Parts: sequence; structure tokens; C-alpha cells
Amino acid sequence: MKENPYEPWLATVQDVREEVGGQRPIKTFKLKFNDNKIQDNFSYIPGQCAMVSLLGMGECFFAISSSPTKKGYIEVSVMKLGKVTTALHELETGDTVGVRGPYGNNFDVNGWKGKNLIFIGGGIGQAPLRSLIQYVVDKRKDYGKLDIIYGARTSKDISYKEEFADLEKRKDVNVHLSIDVKEDGWKKFVGFVPDNLLKVKPSPKNSIAITCGPPIMIKFVIQNLEKLGFTEDQIFTTLEMRMKCGIGKCGRCNIGNLYVCKDGPVFSYKQLKNIYGER
Amino acid sequence: MVDEKELREAVEKTVKRDDVKYVVGYEKGTYGFQVTPCFAYKSEDADKFIFSPLCVHNLAVFPMLEEKPPLRRGEEPDKRKVGVVVKGCDSRAIVQIIQEKGLDREKVVILGIPCTGVVDPKKLEAKFPGKTKNAEIKDDNDKFAITIDGKTSKIAKDELMPDKCKTCEYPTPVLYDILIGKEIKGSKKENYKEIESFEKKSLKDKWQYWEKQFEKCIRCYACRNSCPLCYCKECMVDQLDPQWVRRSVDVSENTAWNLLRAFHLAGRCIGCGQCERVCPMDIPLMKLNKKIEKEIKEMFKYTAGVNAEEKPLLAMFKPDDPEDFIL
Amino acid sequence: MDKMILSKNDLSKLIEELLKKNKVYGPVKSDDTVLFEEIKKPTELYLDYLNSEVPPKALMLHQTETLFKFIPGPKGKIEPVDMDEKKVIFGIRPCDAKSFAILDHVFEGDFDDPYFITKRKNTILIGLSCSTPGTNCFCTSFDDSPAASKYVDILLTDIGNNYYVEVISDLGKQVTKAAGKLFKSATESDTKKKKDAEKKAIDMISRTQKTDKIVEKLDKIFENRFWKDVAFKCLGCGTCTYLCPTCHCFDIQDESTLTKGARIRVWDNCMNPEYTIHASGYNPRPARANRVRNRIYHKYNYYPKNFDVIACVGCGRCIDLCPVNIDIIDVVTKAGEVKP
Repeated sequence: MKENPYEPWLATVQDVREEVGGQRPIKTFKLKFNDNKIQDNFSYIPGQCAMVSLLGMGECFFAISSSPTKKGYIEVSVMKLGKVTTALHELETGDTVGVRGPYGNNFDVNGWKGKNLIFIGGGIGQAPLRSLIQYVVDKRKDYGKLDIIYGARTSKDISYKEEFADLEKRKDVNVHLSIDVKEDGWKKFVGFVPDNLLKVKPSPKNSIAITCGPPIMIKFVIQNLEKLGFTEDQIFTTLEMRMKCGIGKCGRCNIGNLYVCKDGPVFSYKQLKNIYGER
Repeated sequence: MVDEKELREAVEKTVKRDDVKYVVGYEKGTYGFQVTPCFAYKSEDADKFIFSPLCVHNLAVFPMLEEKPPLRRGEEPDKRKVGVVVKGCDSRAIVQIIQEKGLDREKVVILGIPCTGVVDPKKLEAKFPGKTKNAEIKDDNDKFAITIDGKTSKIAKDELMPDKCKTCEYPTPVLYDILIGKEIKGSKKENYKEIESFEKKSLKDKWQYWEKQFEKCIRCYACRNSCPLCYCKECMVDQLDPQWVRRSVDVSENTAWNLLRAFHLAGRCIGCGQCERVCPMDIPLMKLNKKIEKEIKEMFKYTAGVNAEEKPLLAMFKPDDPEDFIL
Repeated sequence: MDKMILSKNDLSKLIEELLKKNKVYGPVKSDDTVLFEEIKKPTELYLDYLNSEVPPKALMLHQTETLFKFIPGPKGKIEPVDMDEKKVIFGIRPCDAKSFAILDHVFEGDFDDPYFITKRKNTILIGLSCSTPGTNCFCTSFDDSPAASKYVDILLTDIGNNYYVEVISDLGKQVTKAAGKLFKSATESDTKKKKDAEKKAIDMISRTQKTDKIVEKLDKIFENRFWKDVAFKCLGCGTCTYLCPTCHCFDIQDESTLTKGARIRVWDNCMNPEYTIHASGYNPRPARANRVRNRIYHKYNYYPKNFDVIACVGCGRCIDLCPVNIDIIDVVTKAGEVKP
């Protein structure tokens, strides 16, 4: 680990890809550390996050949305919303940013070997899930059935369009996309993600469900998962809070006595039920 | 002298009304001379209310602290009125806010108390250090009767009153729904003597004085949060985009903060002294505010918070204003 | 633990000895406030005080701390800063010294905070026992005492013409060795005088806060209406958080011009609504009641759950300075009695 956890390493932007345009654009940045040794030693497990900073503007906590099986770079997906993210959206290939990490806990990739995995994502919430999805696809034989349920407001708001197209072609992955409102040319499910979940009706036997998205979606998804028979330690989610230090010191992101930056962002539903705090 | 029984009856009558959410007043604190704000939601709560020379707080800040928490589906927001117990100076804060349309006249029920002067907690602490448990102060014409552990002593009011009371021009609330007691005619006049003697100092001395004071500031924003007239939804100092005042705490940024706040209160500050009272570092904020108040009076012949029908000073112009242009 | 005495007349010589190799911080009177500031001569010390306005945590966790400097923009670079040098904090009260031990848990752990930890290693704490505790002191509610020696390197207790000196740590031993000739061995009657002074101070503490089983009790009343009543008069001013020796929340900001800048860490205030607001506008703690409740739970429930110690030292600053008399002794004692 580095000596000063507040000091970022420098990284260069390799590629900028626009996922979604419009009012709340989302861009994916491919970053490579300037120092090759750091790049090789930067090891993380899906679910973990990094603090990306633009010197002079500030930093933000992002989920690393690429899998550690893809060597030589990390990717973060950024939605343009505030001061720092707007500045990040101006970046081009070759620009420098600072990266600190990896922080937080991770998905239990070893403990879930052999199980069926159901991913339920909405909007930008797909970013932390994508890291695990890529990891599982790269190590396909280690895991059971793979279902991906993802929804966005309109077909233009779907993130990672090309990757979903590739995944749909695969026979060992089931992809269920949806959009909220009817659209010409959309032949798949129309409605909210929790309803799509009920339609897909995954079996709780030997399964783990992982969800991420807007707070209201998570609430209904968990309700429907319980209706389908999932128990509270089969349901996992990643949470978000305003964060500054990323290492459990500044006291901002706590839910009860757990810090989202240190003890999360991955939490099981069982953990969430038992801690008091604002959600 | 205020009849506490009359006060409690008035509070009870107000709380019983269907269109009143709660009434805020004063009750006895947890130790020594302390007095704390108190909220009455039901008639029984009215028994807690007191009024004594220790009631220095300006309660006009509470109607402005109303929050709008997120509501459940189908729930209507509670739009009932709020009752406030105010002294002469406090009522001017409410009038000023009504002038600025920050508050609807219909939204407050004002219980006015004609005030004969309060006690400055810092002067009291200096005279009776180590606040003891059973302590009370009562008004006694031109003296304060102070009872500690059963023993009473009388002290001349001038010794313990804050400076604002010595030059108070509005002892009776200028606007009220219920008046507890009889009107008191204002007999003192604000003469800005202290400000004038400070103005005579050299520029170098003045800056040296203020640099020492602003070095102490810890930017806790107690002054802003306790001021009834600082009710901006997002204070300029919290804004990041654009950032007007930096977050670092040093003399330069502290000076910017304190002077900017004084300027934002120009023509609006009513001189209740709450900011100076709550400052944990004892910075003489009222000097800044009084100086600006003096300038406003000389330039525009305007006193803040006296007439609710008037338009706010710096938000309007008259054809005979001193400037060439409307700005 | 060595026991010695130091004559009050020799105190200035001890300070001069310390000044030779360290920066010395002690209580200094500035107008009507007492603050811990750097002193260059022993005469600047002001010892006739109860406690400083701003707690000495300001010397370990600076209010504004530069994390590193940089050249801003997408083509930037980073330049690290030097950490602090050796210093001595003289005249710290046992409660404030305990706060450092409490803050150690946060700043160590999975990631070491180099700024705080380096300062901790380089600072010698010379404590001064309280002889006349204030109305709102309640360190005894946490099984501590106005003359507790656990958290300092050297503890001085006033016993008349002399100070009773207890050397607790190796750092303390270094100091007493360097100034060896100023110290004399303590006699039995000196030790008795110290115990009497301690007992006298403990007897003067009149307020207690009931904290038995507070963690379990608080678990049961999280959603209780009690917190709304407590927080209704809170102005959200931040005085309590900034002057609390154990409050450690901070904000990290980049401050720069076009050509150079620094990333700084400043104290932050969890009573401010902007503290937890998300970029989307959603705020998990929208009302003052949520924030006040979070602060009290952080001290009496979350911290004990994580680190096994209540994060309050009983210094009483928040009670003295709260403009609306929200009294933490009162609130926590009452919280323990609320029926869930």
C-alpha cells in the first residue's frame, strides 16, 4: 500500500466512449497508470471502487466498471451531474487524472463459484455490476446460470449498448433488457425493472441476486425478490453516499456504524436490515 | 416586569387554536442561569414558559428554520401558523422579514413582550463565574435582583445590560397580535458613540485590530445560523460553483466571510446582537453591523424592521435617491 | 512510573529547556479567550484557566491542512508536502489528552493517516491536572478523573508550592532526564497531597451523565419521536462540532489558481445540510432531527460498536457554548430513560 493514502497516482486517459447522451450524459473513461509498476500491482476484485480526481477541481468516488481480468487498464463510467463530473466530461485522450484506490469491499467472487447469478441493474447502476459481469463471463465455467436484467428510461439511455449486443449473442448468458415507456421499434419488455424481474421469474435455488440502481428501484426489486423466495443473505446491493476521503476517516458516508467507503459499498440485505441509519 | 401568568394564558390560548402548529418561547435551562427556547404543542406545555431578564435569545430565527422534509405519498404539508414570543428588538426582525416577503404576515402569530432590558451573559459570567445550579434573575425597576442559592443581591442594570439595551429605541414590539403587559415608550436614543470613536483611529490601527479578531474566527457559522435574517436556502459560502469564499480558514478568507456577511445584512440588520452573543471566539461582530447601520441611516434615513408595509431598502429605489442611476 | 516534584519557580526553566529542541504550545490568553498557541518565552503562558476555547485537537488535526500541492488541470503534476516537526503541548488537560487516544482509532486502522500519525509521534504531551473543574465538566462519568495520567507523557498536579510530577511514557522520561536537575524525588507526604488534590477536584464535579448500557438503549430508540423534540431548537450552527475534542469530520477540497494549487483538508460540520447531499439532490439526512441524532449516535453508539470506547471525554465545551442550551448530559441521560 502507498504511504500517503490521500495522495493519488497519476493516470492517463486512453479512451473516452460516450454511452448515453442528452441531459445526463454518461461517458466511460479508460485509464492507464503512468507508472507501469503501479499498473501491474494495482489489484482489485469486482465491486471495489476508486477515487478519481481532476487536479484543481476535486475528486469523486466511482465504481471500477471493468473487470480485473482485463489487464493493463481500468474503466470508470461517469454521469455528468455536478462540478467535478462536468469537468471530467471535458477530458480527452492523453489528459492526466489522479486515481486512488482500490477502496471498499468486494463481491464474494470465490464464495459464489458454482452458483446461479442474477444481475438486476437500472440506469448508471450497471457500472459496478459490469465489473462482476465481465469477470464472470471471462471465467464462465466457474459459475452457474447467468441472468442479466437491465432497464433504462428510453432506448437511448441504455448504457454499454455494444456490450449488451455481444452478450445477447452468447448462448450461456440470458439478457433481459427493458425500457420504461413504449417506443417504436422496441420489441422487448416495456415497463419498470422490478416488473421485468417478476416476468423473468428467476429461481432462488442456489442463486445470488445482485442489484444496483436508483434507491427507489432497489427498494422494489428487493421486495419482488423476496416474493420470489430469495432469502436476505441471497440479496446483495451496492450503495452510494457522498464521500470525501474514501478510507473511513472523514465521517461523512456512514450508515449506522458502517462506512459505505470502507465496509461497503457492497452490502447484503441481511446487513442492511440490521443496522440503523438513514438509507 | 412581565406577568408570567398572563404570558402562559396567552400561549395557551394561541396553542389551542386549530390553525397554530406550535408556539416558541423561553423556558428554564439545564444549569445555572441558562434559559432555553421552548416549544408548546399542547395547552399543557404552556406552563413551562417563563420570561425574565435572562431571555436574551432572538426567537425570530425559528419560524425561518422551518424545514420541508420529504413527505409520504398522500400526506399534505403542515401549513399551519407558528407562534413566537418576541421582545421589542426581536419583533423588528420579523417585521424586516415580512417586508422582504421571506415570511407571510398570516403565517406568524406574534406574542409581544414590552422589554425593560436583558442581561448580557458574558458580563454575568464575569461577575458570577462558575455558573451555579439554582440561579434566577428578576426585574426590579432600575436594578436586577439576582438570587443564587437563596441569597438575593441587587445590581444596577447598567452594569449587566448589553450595549444594545442601553440605546434601545423600540422596547415595545412594533408588530404584535397579543401584547403581554403594557406598552413602554422608547426613551433612549442610538447615538453610535462607540462607532464614532473607533472611526477616528488610523487605518493602520483599525486593520491591526480587525486582523487580530479575524485570526480567531473558526468559521463555525454560528453567527449566520443564529441570525434571523440569514435565511438563504444556499448560503454564498457553501456554494462551490462558483466559489465565492474558499473553504480554507485563514485571515484572508475569514475577513472575506465576516465583511461579506455584514454587507449582506446592510439595511436589514436590526441590531439584536445574537451573532456576537453566540460567537464562541468573542469576535465583536456588532461593531461591523452597527457601522453599516450608521452609514445606512445617514445615507438613506432608513431604519430596518420598523414598518412592515415599507419596501426593503436595497431592493427598491426612489426618485430622490443620492445616486445618479438606479443601481 | 517515576514520581517527582518540580518547584513552581523552576517551571520556566523547564519550558526553556523544552524550547531548545521543540516548538512549545501552551495556553495563551488573547483578549478574553484562552487558546493553545505557540510560545517563545515561558512568561507567555497563562495557567489560571479552566480549559481552552478551541481544543488542542487543532494542533494534531489542523483546521486547514495541506495534503499536497499540485499544478492544476488535465496536464497536472503532484508535489508532496513535508510533515510537521517535533513539538510539545504543555498544560493539556487529561480530558483533551484522552481525546487523542480516541481519535487514534479513526486515523490508524486499514489506512494510516500520515498527517495525524506523524504529528502524534512527534508530540510530547505534558498534562496539567484540573484543580477546579467547571460546572459542566463530567469526565468522571466515563471512569476518568481530573488528574488521570493514562493519556499523557508527563502529568503535573498542583500541590501548593510544587507540582507533583508523574512520568508515564518513554517520551516523558526523555524530558525529565534532559532537565534532570530541576526535579527532586517525591516524598510520601507529596504523594498524599496529590491524592487529596485529586479527590477534591473529583468532589467538585457536580454533574453526571448516565451511560450504562447506552449502546443497547440507543439501538432501541432510533425511530423514536424523542429526537425530533431534542433537535427542534438546534440552529445547526456547528459550534459543538468545531469545539468538540473528538469530532473529526473533515472535507477535502482543491483550491487553486490557474497555475498552482493545493488539495486541502478542512474541518467540516455534520450539522450542515450540505454535509451529505448527493449530486443528484437527494439528501439522506434532510432534517435537523436526523443530523442531531446522527451526531449523538456517532459518539455513543457507532463509535463504541466499532472501537469499544464512547467518543465523549466529558469536557463540557458543547454545553457551555451551545447558544440554545442543548445539553448533551441531559439528552443522553434522558435518552437512556425513554421507553422504546
